[in-house]
Amino acid sequence: MQIATSTTPICDDQKSLHREPDLAHTEHEAALSLTALNSLNRAVAVIGPENGILYKNRAFDELFGGGELSPHLRECLNSLARGTENLESCETAFDDGRTLRIETMNLPDGLLVSAEDISKRVAELAQSAEQARTDPLTLLGNRRMFRERLRDLMANLDPAQDTAAVLSIDLDRFKAINDTLGHSVGDALLRSVASRLKSVVRREDVVARLGGDEFAVIQSGGPQPNSAAALAKRLVDLLGRSYIIDGNLLNIGASVGVALIPTDGVDDDEILKNADLALYRSKQDGRRTFRFFENSMDEQMQARRCLEIDLRRALAMRELKLVYQPQITLSTKQVTGFEALLRWQCPKRGLVAPAEFMPLAEEIGVIVQIGEWMIRTACREAVGWQQPLSVSVNVSAVQIASLTLLPVIRAVLAETGLDPGRLELEITESVLMKDHAVTLDMLQEIRSLGVRVSMDDFGTGYSSLASLRSFPFHKIRIDQSFVRGDPDDPGNIAIVRAIAALGRALGMTTTAEGVDTEGQLARVIADGCTDVQGYLISGPLNPELIEDFLHLRDGRADAAAA
Amino acid sequence: MTSQLYRLVYHSRNFISGTPEQVSVEVNKILESSQRNNLLIDVTGALIFNAGMFAQVLEGARNDLEATFERIQRDERHGEVEILAFDEASSRGFPSWSMGFVGHSCGDKELFTHIGEGSGFEAKRLEGEHVFRVMRDLAIAEETRAA
Repeated sequence: MQIATSTTPICDDQKSLHREPDLAHTEHEAALSLTALNSLNRAVAVIGPENGILYKNRAFDELFGGGELSPHLRECLNSLARGTENLESCETAFDDGRTLRIETMNLPDGLLVSAEDISKRVAELAQSAEQARTDPLTLLGNRRMFRERLRDLMANLDPAQDTAAVLSIDLDRFKAINDTLGHSVGDALLRSVASRLKSVVRREDVVARLGGDEFAVIQSGGPQPNSAAALAKRLVDLLGRSYIIDGNLLNIGASVGVALIPTDGVDDDEILKNADLALYRSKQDGRRTFRFFENSMDEQMQARRCLEIDLRRALAMRELKLVYQPQITLSTKQVTGFEALLRWQCPKRGLVAPAEFMPLAEEIGVIVQIGEWMIRTACREAVGWQQPLSVSVNVSAVQIASLTLLPVIRAVLAETGLDPGRLELEITESVLMKDHAVTLDMLQEIRSLGVRVSMDDFGTGYSSLASLRSFPFHKIRIDQSFVRGDPDDPGNIAIVRAIAALGRALGMTTTAEGVDTEGQLARVIADGCTDVQGYLISGPLNPELIEDFLHLRDGRADAAAA
Repeated sequence: MTSQLYRLVYHSRNFISGTPEQVSVEVNKILESSQRNNLLIDVTGALIFNAGMFAQVLEGARNDLEATFERIQRDERHGEVEILAFDEASSRGFPSWSMGFVGHSCGDKELFTHIGEGSGFEAKRLEGEHVFRVMRDLAIAEETRAA
C-alpha cells in the first residue's frame, strides 16, 4: 500500500512536520497519516490505473461496500478524471436511493477520491422546495408550482399534436361565509373544495390554489376542447353542491374560465390571463357556469380598460358637466325646477352617454365621487339662478351604501348656502331593497335637513306599494317608457293612471317623464299626473341657457295671458 | 365514547338513465355500498327511490354524517341535492338495519301517491321531519311485507 506524500487537503497540517525531515520522523508521519485517514468519517480512497484500489479507508468501505468498485462508481470516477480541473466533484444518485457527493483530485500515483452521503441534505432541500410550492391550507400546489408546471408543459409541448387546457376557478359567495362564520369554517370549506377538486381530475392533471378562493387546474391529455368542457361542467356542478362543515350547511357556487393550450396563448402569462378573462365572463353571465376564452373577450376587456382610464381622467380633468331639464307643474304651467343630468364631454370620444359609462363607474367605485360631484355642482349652479327653483339629482344605490351621502349633503348645503328645500334627491326603488332599515334611517335624516326625496323610474322595477308606503316621498316619477309607449296599450294607460291615483292618495306629486308630444301631454293630463318633464317642454339645457329659457317662457306666458 | 346523535334528511334528483332494470341494478349498487360504508362508521338510515327522486335519512354522529354526506355529494348518479333537515336527534329512527331500500316493491307507486301529486315525488314541499316519518312508516311496512 502506498500513499502519496504530496500535500492534499486532507493532510495539510503535515507541512509543518516537513521542517526537520529525518527517516524516523517520515515513517512516524506516514503511520500517523494512515491512522488519521482510517479514522476519518469521510470516505477516502486512492484509485490507480485500471480502477485498481490503491488505498481505501474504513468509511469508504462503509459507504460503497467492500470489494471492487461498482460499475456506477467507476463510471462517475472516469467522467470526473476526464475533467480539466485538478479538483473535480459531482453529486450522483445511486440505485439504492442514496445521493452521494464525490470529489476527486489528481495525484501523481492515482486519483484521490473522497465521498460523502448527502441524501439527507438533498431530501431536506427537496422538502423545502416542495414546501415552497405547496399551499399549506389545502396541500394543493400553490401559484409558484402552478406557474412552473404550466411553463414546463408549454415548453415541452408539440403544438402540432398536443393540446391541454387551463381551468381558472373562482368560488362565489365564499367571502360571505368567511365573514359570517369565521375563518376556521372558511378554511375547512377551502379544504373540502380542494378535496372535491382532486376527486374529479386525473392523476396527471395539476391542481393548485392560487390564493384566496381562486383555484386552477392544468388538464393535459384528452381531446380538447371536449375534455375541458366536461371537466368544467363537472366542477361547476360538484363544487356548487352544498357542504356540511362543523354542523353548518354551506352553499357556494363555482365559476370556471377555460383557456386552451396552445391556441389561447403563447406563454403561461397569456394562458392564465385568458383563462381569467373567460372566468370574468362566466361571472358576468350570472355565475355558476363556465366559459371558454374567446378573442372578443380580450378586445372587450381592453375597451373597458381604456374607458376606465379615460373615465378616471375625466374626473380629474373636469370633463363631466351637468345639463338641466325643466319640469313644469300642470295646474299653473309654471316651471317648478330642473333635473340635473350628467354629461361626459370626452376630448377623445366626444359626448358619452351616462348609460355607456355609469355601469363601469359603479363597478370601479368612482360612482361615489361622481355622485358627490353632481350634488355639489347642481347646488352651486342652482344657487346662482334668479328664481328659487328646485334642482333634482339622481343618487345611486352604491352612493347610499357608501354612507358618505349624508355628510356630503350637509357640507354642500353649508358651502353653497342653497335652501335645502330646493334640493331634491331621486332614488330608484332598488335602493330600498338593500339594507332596508339602514337606508330608511338615512333617508329620514336627509329629509329632516329639509331636502326632498323622490322615487325615480317608478313602474319599471318591483313597483311595490310597500316601497311607496315605507317613506314619505315628495314625488313619484313615472318612467318615460310608460309615457312614450304605445298610446293604445291599455296596460300603459292603466299603469300611469294607477300610479297617479296612488300619488294623489298618498299626497305625492306625480311627474310623467318623457313627454315629447302634445298627444302624450294630453294623455298624462287625462291620466291625472300633476307634473311633466320632456322634450315638449324642453330638452336638457346647458347651465348658461337656463335664464334665457325661463325668460322666454315667462314672456310667452305673459303674451298668452294678455 | 358516545357522541350526540344527528339526523340528516335530503332528497335529490336521480341522474341514472336506462331501463327500469338498469336503474334498479344501479340503485342496488348504491344500497350495497352505502350499507358497507355506513356499517363501518355506525351510520344508519333509509333510502327511498321513486319517479326519478332519491330521499334518504342518515343517522349517526355529526362528523360521520358530514363525511358520509360529502361522499354522497360526490356521486354523479344524482344531483340537485336538497337538505330537508340536519338536526340533533334523541334516538335512532332506523336502529336495527343500516340501510333499506323500500322502492322496489310493485306497491311503491301506491305508497307514494299520498306524498306527491302526479308522477314526481315532491319531497321538496315536505318538512324534513315529516319525510323522515313517512320514510320510517314505509320502511316498517316494507320490512313487514318481506317477513
